[in-house]
Order: sequence, then structure tokens, then C-alpha cells
Amino acid sequence: MTLERSKELLRGPISIAHLGLDNLADGAQAAGTPLVRVDFLPPAGGDQARIRALTALRAPEHAAAIEEANRTALDRFLASRPHLVGVGLAREDIPGMQEDLFLHAGPPITWERMSGPLRGAVLGGLLLEGRAKSPEEAESLAASGKVRFDPCHHHQAVGPMAGLVTPSMPVWILEDMGGASPGRRTYCTLNEGLGKVLRYGAYSREVLERLRFMAEVLGPVLSETLAARGPIDLKLLMAQALQMGDEGHNRNRAGTSLLFRELAPAMVRLRRDPTEVGKVLEFIHANDHFFLNLSMPMAKCMLLAAEGVPRSSFVTIMSRNGTDFGVQISGMPGRWFTGPAQEVKGLYFPGFTAADANPDIGDSAIMETAGIGGFAMAAAPAIVQFVGGSAEDALATTRNMARITLGRNSTWSIPSLGFVGAPTGIDLRKVVERNLLPAINTGIAHREPGVGQVGAGLTSPPWECFHGAFDAFVRHCLDA
Amino acid sequence: MIERLLIHRNRYHDSARLMRLSQELRRLPGVIMAEVLMGTSMNCELLGASGFDPEVLRDVSPLDLVVALRGESAEHLESASAELERLLESADSTGEGGGDASLARDLEQAMESRPEINLVTVAVPGAYAAYVARQALDAGRHVFLFSDNVAVEDEVALKRQAADAGLLMMGPDCGTAILAGVGLGFANRVRRGAVGLVGASGTGIQELSCLVHRAGQGISQAIGTGSRDLSSSVGGIMTEQGLRLLAEDDGTQVILLVAKKPAQEVASRLHSVLVQLGKPVVVRYLGQAGASRRDGVTYSGDLDQAAQAALACLSGEPPKDFLEPQPPSPPEPGSGLLVGLFGGGSLASEAALILAAAGHETSAPAEPLREDRPIPGNCHLVVDLGDDAYTVGKPHPMVDQTTRCGILRAAGADPRVGLLLLDLVLGDGAHSDPAPELASAIEAARKERAGRPLAVIASVTGTDLDPQGAGRQKAALEAARVRVAPSAATAARLAAAWLDAAQGRSAP
Repeated sequence: MTLERSKELLRGPISIAHLGLDNLADGAQAAGTPLVRVDFLPPAGGDQARIRALTALRAPEHAAAIEEANRTALDRFLASRPHLVGVGLAREDIPGMQEDLFLHAGPPITWERMSGPLRGAVLGGLLLEGRAKSPEEAESLAASGKVRFDPCHHHQAVGPMAGLVTPSMPVWILEDMGGASPGRRTYCTLNEGLGKVLRYGAYSREVLERLRFMAEVLGPVLSETLAARGPIDLKLLMAQALQMGDEGHNRNRAGTSLLFRELAPAMVRLRRDPTEVGKVLEFIHANDHFFLNLSMPMAKCMLLAAEGVPRSSFVTIMSRNGTDFGVQISGMPGRWFTGPAQEVKGLYFPGFTAADANPDIGDSAIMETAGIGGFAMAAAPAIVQFVGGSAEDALATTRNMARITLGRNSTWSIPSLGFVGAPTGIDLRKVVERNLLPAINTGIAHREPGVGQVGAGLTSPPWECFHGAFDAFVRHCLDA
Repeated sequence: MIERLLIHRNRYHDSARLMRLSQELRRLPGVIMAEVLMGTSMNCELLGASGFDPEVLRDVSPLDLVVALRGESAEHLESASAELERLLESADSTGEGGGDASLARDLEQAMESRPEINLVTVAVPGAYAAYVARQALDAGRHVFLFSDNVAVEDEVALKRQAADAGLLMMGPDCGTAILAGVGLGFANRVRRGAVGLVGASGTGIQELSCLVHRAGQGISQAIGTGSRDLSSSVGGIMTEQGLRLLAEDDGTQVILLVAKKPAQEVASRLHSVLVQLGKPVVVRYLGQAGASRRDGVTYSGDLDQAAQAALACLSGEPPKDFLEPQPPSPPEPGSGLLVGLFGGGSLASEAALILAAAGHETSAPAEPLREDRPIPGNCHLVVDLGDDAYTVGKPHPMVDQTTRCGILRAAGADPRVGLLLLDLVLGDGAHSDPAPELASAIEAARKERAGRPLAVIASVTGTDLDPQGAGRQKAALEAARVRVAPSAATAARLAAAWLDAAQGRSAP
């Protein structure tokens, strides 16, 4: 038994962190002892079984293994360097893509359980692919089992809102140029813009016409542009966007502008009809969220690098299909833990109210999983209305998220917090222990197919998926 | 002149911040040139053109921070790169705390951001206390755990973990400690001095530290262990560690141990520790009648004797007896029952022991006393109002006297009762001005007695350094015709003498 540390304490000076009954620390404070009062909230929301499980995980042999696994996962995540390398076609480029396969956002789901906007997107997809002539025909085809559905996440892809990917769609191709898995690719469709769009479940003629323009003009022009100018480092663009007032999920204006600057010179030099190039540049310019469909597969690429580290509690996927919210954990790759998709608390476009809103939907929570979006709220003073209205609320949101993350991403620093890195790497244990859910910024889809976006706001995952994942993770660690 | 290139991977900063960093570095002595920039190909070319090694810059990316330095000597560049590290670190942490620096959202974050924190004091509900204590121990911090209702298995695990790491795990159910002159929990403000205390009893430590202070001496350290430390299941892990610490503590000349009487096997094992400490040791096991001296260890018969024995070790003179003063207003024969109403549990049990030794058996009431009911039965009562029966969902009587004053009034008004025995524990954490409340409850009780006298004897555990002022509290009680004894044990002996007189016996 060594007494050195106790002796050191008795020599003083003493510096205290105090929790609980306030007056018990008054004496020490009155005596001039440095004292920090710590907010106390019951661990794990007071759930005794989970407090016991958290205690078991703190045992040195488990804690050390988990810490090391998490360090590995975080290092791999931070070392990943996704670059935009090209534009291809879903049927040709996405691994495992088939002619009868439609990809969608979120965890796996059947047609019967799909929410309105996802169904609407499926109908639009069938019309777009020419497999049905009318919405009615499309509906009976979707219900017939002749179309297979699979999550984007099962194919190294992500999609905002409904996240529908059909074989003929053009897709961004990203490639990891650093870290543990160079060459790994991820995919995402191109962003359609605002208003009535397929990703919000709209499938009217204008929606389909725009999608055809994207396949026939936008995709090829972008593909040639990238071939001409070479890969674009997306982490760097994201870093700059965060310093220009984007948080990378609900505000993508800076990122889109930066991308525009990267693409425009090479694009105008293409031997292309200037009217066509002009249309493409106008299309990008008119859509503040154009960059989101690049930052999402960027985040996916980095998070894929963190997947599959045994005993790591690093959250690698948060995703919703409009019915269920699902998460995956690095140490248990491929296993979905789900709960009901939640309501989004938000602001609505004129003419819409909360009664029109579909529950939370889309793969875009990959942004928060990667430490931006809601986690980087402090970077985006322009949209503080979503978190309570004041700049201080935005700072508090980011500070709060640092309580459930494993580290900082020094590449993505936040000016308003003294250039501290974005809180990064959600730790399943901390979410449960601190009883604090990730804050997710998101758009709101109309609950009926065919209408589109009705607002934007803030939401959280359901506790079920984190509690289910935690209980499984405890077994994963203790049985190992 | 000497030059150096430093690469910080994946550390993006905007140009304004980079310029400021460069500027800060250029101000340092011996620095001739400093450029902090991101590793874009243009910047790398610039650096190459100005003479820096292009090989080093070959695999630098635009996300990497590049620092190019020229200075007079290697030492100057060493300190410049150290300063840069500091600036980058502070960039990574400034603005993070937010709001009041003395408030934190989270214990682990507080400990991470403030490495100087060496002690975590915990007074949260018992169901969560062990978890919080574990977080602190895991982070290498000492713990003072005030909370009770912690499972004994948790207590054993926490104390073993602490002992293995050389940390102090004071508690659970630890009321008091004084470390390096800082009082924790309910502690009296006492002079620093040569008496070191280890104790499983909060009020026991408080009473002893006040007696030592009032005798002109002081306390080196008072290490609380929690009420169960000497139980068979815990086995005195922290008591033993505390004793060894005091044995090695230069400021401690005499060691005073106070605890409830432990299980026999624990007492025997502890005795073998005590005889080897190499310093004078005085023990008070609460509830143990009679004094003895074995193998050089003094086992005292009450708290007064223990304090006197420890003081005698310092002065080299034989222990003084406390004078036995005359009891207050000699009672009329057969004038009644004694009711003792205590805030300090140890002081209650010590009073009962002293009264029993003088031939006056007391009991604890079968049902908790209530302010709206008469005193049950027909025998002397000694009541610990800090017991769970009185404190579930209510504050402790040392903090809030509402319950005690109500019961005091009911007991004092009862014509069968002739004598009240009270304690008054002062110090940090305790009620800010308790005596006037007690005094008015006593006056109210007397009004209901139709002229029948009511004697009140009290002790004040406190010092004049305490925020309540022991002298001021004593004066307020005396103004209400309360006889204030110089110690808790003396108060109990005075009560015994009063009962003797009331029964027509001569004092023993």
C-alpha cells in the first residue's frame, strides 16, 4: 500500500469538485479552497440495472480494452480523407446494386411499414425507371414484392430524407485517400433542390423531369468536370464551411458556394454547349443544400473506417426511414438497434403545421454521427432559431454534445468556441451514462406522399435504440 | 542561425488565426522568423523557395499545420515550439467552459479540464453515490462521500480500489473531515495543531476537535472513514490507512481514534496496528464503558477522557479531570423524567452510556416522538433525532431544527418531565444560528408548565471561529436559563447528578 498520493493531499493545497447538497461545500469555499460545483444528474437516468452494467464496464480489464478500441476507431475516423473523385451511375457503381433493387434511407423496412414520404419516393422511382405508367400501377407493383428494398447503408451509400436510389440515378463517387482503408468508396445521389422533390416523397411530373435533367445533363457535366480538374478534398471544404457559418446539416450554403468555386472554372473550360453549362451552374447556385449530398457520403466514408473494432462503443450509424430510427456500433458491425422515429420540433413553411409532419426520416443524421450538424451548432449563428433562438443556445448545444463524444476533430474547428474542434465520435456508454441523446438537425417531410418538405428543426433519437445497443454492447464486452 | 519545420497533422485553422499565431511566435526572444500556415501546395512552394527543406514538405496536406521557424539557437526554437503547442492547446480549450468557471456540467469533464482537482466531495442520493465515487477514484481523485444508503459491497469495493491506488475513500456516510486545514461536510473551524484524528463518527470527531481547540491545541488532520468502516464486512480498510497516514504525518504528534465499538476480530486486528504506529495513540470506542491501557494504547471511557489523554500526551502532564460542576437549580425531590434530544447520534449514545454508568437507565422510545403527542411511557429517554425515523424526507436536525423544536416543546410541556438534555452542534454545514430557536422552544414549553420548573442542560460542540460563534450560542442558551456544560460528556454527567439529587441520592 503506497501512501504517497494521500500524503500529497494532506500536504495541500486542496482543490475540490463537489456534487450534491450545496451547503456541505460552503465551509471549504468560505475557507478559500478552490471549488467547482458540478451539476448532478443520476447516471443512466437512475436505471439501477444499467448503473450496474456501467459499473461492470468500468472494471479495469474492460475499461482498458474499450478505451483502446475507441482510440483505434477514433484514429481511423480522423485519419480518413474522403475525396470527391467522380460521378457515376447507381447501377454501374454502387456495390450490389441490381435492376430490381431500390435503396432507401434508414434501417431495413418493408413496403407495408413505410411512411408516406418513403412510399411517395418509391412510387416516383418506379415512374422514373419506367416500370409503371401511373402512381396506381406503381403502388400495386411496390406492394407485389417484385421490387426489393435495401438500406443505402448496406451498399456504402447514404441518402437524405427518403434516400431513394434507383438504378438509373447519377451518383457522386467518393474515395478515401488516407488512413487505414485507402481506396474505400462511398456513394450518394445528387441533391435535387428545394420544394417538391423525390427525397421528400414528391413524384409529380416536374419532379420526374428534374430527375431526368439530372441524369442526362447534370451528372455527365459534373463527371467530365471532375475528370478534368481532379479529386476534391471534402474534409478541407467542410473545415472551411464550418468557419463560414455552416453547421453542415441544416445550413449548407457556404459548403455549396465553396464547391461551386471548385467546379466552375474547370466546367466552363469543357467543350460543352455554354447554355448547358450555365444551366448546371444555375442549378447548383439555386440550391443551398447541394453540398449536403457530398458531405453525407464524406461522413459515411469516415465512419466506415471506424466500423468493426471489437469492443469499441463508437456509434458509426444513426439513420431513420421515417418509421424506425436505427443505430450501429463499431464493436458490433452490421447489427441494427432500432426504435420509433421521433417527431421533429421545428419551424414550418407558410401553410404547414406540426400536424402535417412525418416522423424523423433520412440518412442525414450521418452528419451528427460524424460530429457536425447539431454537434457543430455553435458554428452556425444564422440558424440558431432551430435550437432556441440565441447564439448562447447554439454554443450550449455543441458544449453539451462534447459530453457524449470521445474526442475532438481538430480539422473541423469552431470559431465561436475558440476554435476548439467539433465534438466527435459518439460514445454509446456516455450517451447512456449521462442520459443525454445526440442533438440532430433535420428537415421535415410532409406525412403524405407527393407533397415534399414542410419545414426544418431539431430532433433526437428514441432511447430504445441506444438502450438496446447498450445492453447488447455490455454482453459483447463481458462475454468477450 | 538555425531553422526548423514542424508539421502538425490534421489541425486546420483559418488564416486570421494562423497570422496571429505567427505574430505571437515572432515576438519570442531569439526567434528571427516564424510562419504558421496550412500545408497547401502554394505555401509549401513558398517555404521551399525561402530555403526550407522541400523533402520534409513533400507529403504535407492542406489540412496539416506547418510551422517554419528560424532562430538564434536550438533552445530558442525549442521554447518557440513549446509556446506554439501551448497556444494551440489553449485554442482547443478556450471558450469551452462557458459561463461561470466555478460551475461544471459533468464530473469527468471537470476533472479532465482541471487537473488540479484532487478531492471529490459527494453528497448525492445513496443509489448513485457509489457510481460517482467510482468515477472519481477511476480518475485518481480522493473521495469524501457524505451520502449514506450505499450498499456495503459497494463500500468494500470502493475502499479496496482506493487503498490499492493509495487514495483516500472517506465514507460512505462520512460526516466530517479536516484535511490540510480545510473542513469538509459538517466540520468545526479549529486551529491547526499536533493532534491527528481518525474517526468513523462525524459528531465524535467534531466534539473531540472542539475540545482540543478549546484547550488551546489544534488538529493536524481529521480523517473521516464513514460509519461502517470498522464493521466486520469492511474491516477497517480506511481506518487503518488513515492511522498509517497520521503515523507518517510530520504535523501529527498524537493520534486520536474515535469509532463505534467495532466487532471483536476487527478490534484485535486494529489493536496490533495501533501498537506499531510509533506515536502515542488514544482510542475512544463509542458505547464501550470503562477505560484501559494495553500495550501502550490508551482506551478511554468517554470523549472527554479521550481528549484529555491526547492533550496530556502533548503537554507531558497527567490527564486533567474535568471539574464536576454543581447541577443547575437543585431539583425538588421526585421532580421527574429526563428527556435527551440530540442532533448528534454519537453524542446521544455517549450520554446514554454515562447516565447508565451513573445508575440511570435510559431508553429510546419504541415509536418516534411527535410534537403532537405526549411523551410515551414512564422512563428516561435519550433520542437521536438524526435517526432515519426522523429524517426520511426531512433535513437533519443539525441543519433544520423544526422537528427538534416541536418535540422539545411537547416534551418540555409534559409535567412528568423535569429535565431536558440537549446538544448543539455548530460549524460549517450546520444551522446558521440554532440557539435562539431552541431558546424560544424552551420558553414556550415552560409557559405551559404552570410554574413547575423545567431544568435544561446542554452542550455546545463548536468554537468561536465557527460562523455561528460558540460564545454567542452559549450566551443565547444561558439567557433562556439553560445550563451550558463545557462538553457533551460533562453535560451528561451533570444530568446524572441532577437525577441523583432529584431522587435524594448523593452524587457518587
